Amino acid sequence: MKRGAKTQQRIFTVLFMLIITLVFISVTTVLYTLTKDTIKLNESLRVRKAVLYSGGVPLPENPKEIEKIYEKRVREIKDNQGATLYYEVLEPGSSAVESYVLIIDGPGLWGAITAAVGYDSSLQRLTGFEVIDQNETPGLGGRISETWFKNQFRGKKPPLSLVPEGTSANDNQFQAITGASYSSNGVKDIINSSSQDARKIVKLKQ
Amino acid sequence: MKAFKIKRVFFDDLGANNPVFAQVLGICSTLAVTNVMKNTIVMCAGLIFVTGLSNFTVSLLRAYMPSRIRMMVETLIIASYVIIVDIILKAYLPDISKQLGPYVGLIITNCIIMGRAEAFALSNPPGLSFIDGAASGLGYSYVLIAIAFFRELLGSGSIWGYPVLGDWWTNWSIMVMAPGAFFMLAIFIWIVKGVLEKEKGGEKK
Repeated sequence: MKRGAKTQQRIFTVLFMLIITLVFISVTTVLYTLTKDTIKLNESLRVRKAVLYSGGVPLPENPKEIEKIYEKRVREIKDNQGATLYYEVLEPGSSAVESYVLIIDGPGLWGAITAAVGYDSSLQRLTGFEVIDQNETPGLGGRISETWFKNQFRGKKPPLSLVPEGTSANDNQFQAITGASYSSNGVKDIINSSSQDARKIVKLKQ
Repeated sequence: MKAFKIKRVFFDDLGANNPVFAQVLGICSTLAVTNVMKNTIVMCAGLIFVTGLSNFTVSLLRAYMPSRIRMMVETLIIASYVIIVDIILKAYLPDISKQLGPYVGLIITNCIIMGRAEAFALSNPPGLSFIDGAASGLGYSYVLIAIAFFRELLGSGSIWGYPVLGDWWTNWSIMVMAPGAFFMLAIFIWIVKGVLEKEKGGEKK
């Protein structure tokens, strides 16, 4: 008799856990399914914005406008497997290439930094730089996503080297972030390795 | 009577029983997310949401919950709410979600939530538990926001991302790194314990 009650209690415990788990998993699954497309769209918009920005195209606020400009002015160049090699940003209303954009990743302090690097049509000078993904310390290395940092790359001629923050830099230099030498060097390596990739594009074109 | 109780529970969690400076819980996130104010506020909103609702849910189930699996159930409930917060951030605030990175997920392991579920929700009705949870979240939030305010001001010379201190200001890099949070938290606790609570003790005598 006593034993029966104990078994019953155990069965109740297992059932309770099972039902509770099912309820909560259903709730999170429904929410996940509902937002899946939005999240995917956010991710792709992030990359598209980075491509346009580093390609030297001014960005409108509205996401739909950004999509429109992207559809019109960007050509994705893919390899045989369908992976994107680089992006061509076209001049408005023509099919001439205005800039090339490469997406490159390299090591940062806490994790990889993924960035878009844009080159002008001669593949000599940068048209822009945009961080897509980074896990650097907020307030220190995280400042590589700040506008002043990103904007200083326009017109620079890689390979680049670092100068201290707040000092003037020539065409082959850029300002590092004080207190974040690791992140700054990470960006430097990304840009310098992108210039080698850019040269490969030239070869592919010929 | 009931209104009185609600009021007491609410203010207790903000002051005398504050999760951060009285119970010293949830310190890990205090250190991690307080170097920039924007991230701190989003993190705090997420935490208030999770503590309130998880306390509410645990309290609703407390009569049926077999006591030997109660911790498993609590963790499950907390984790579900945190995943909800994470999904909402990813879908509607993608930039902040990117910046907070793994810390949103780490709300699950924030000791305040489990602590309130165990200490309060298991023995109190759902409504009161919700208030207790939300008040604990608020108590955590204002301490964090105060710390973040000074860390961002001294460490980056800005507030909410807007530069307020001019060019003459040299940023204190240490404020942006984890040790800066230790200093700020210690100063905060020192002020609260040393100045405010001493006055209260004096009155009693």
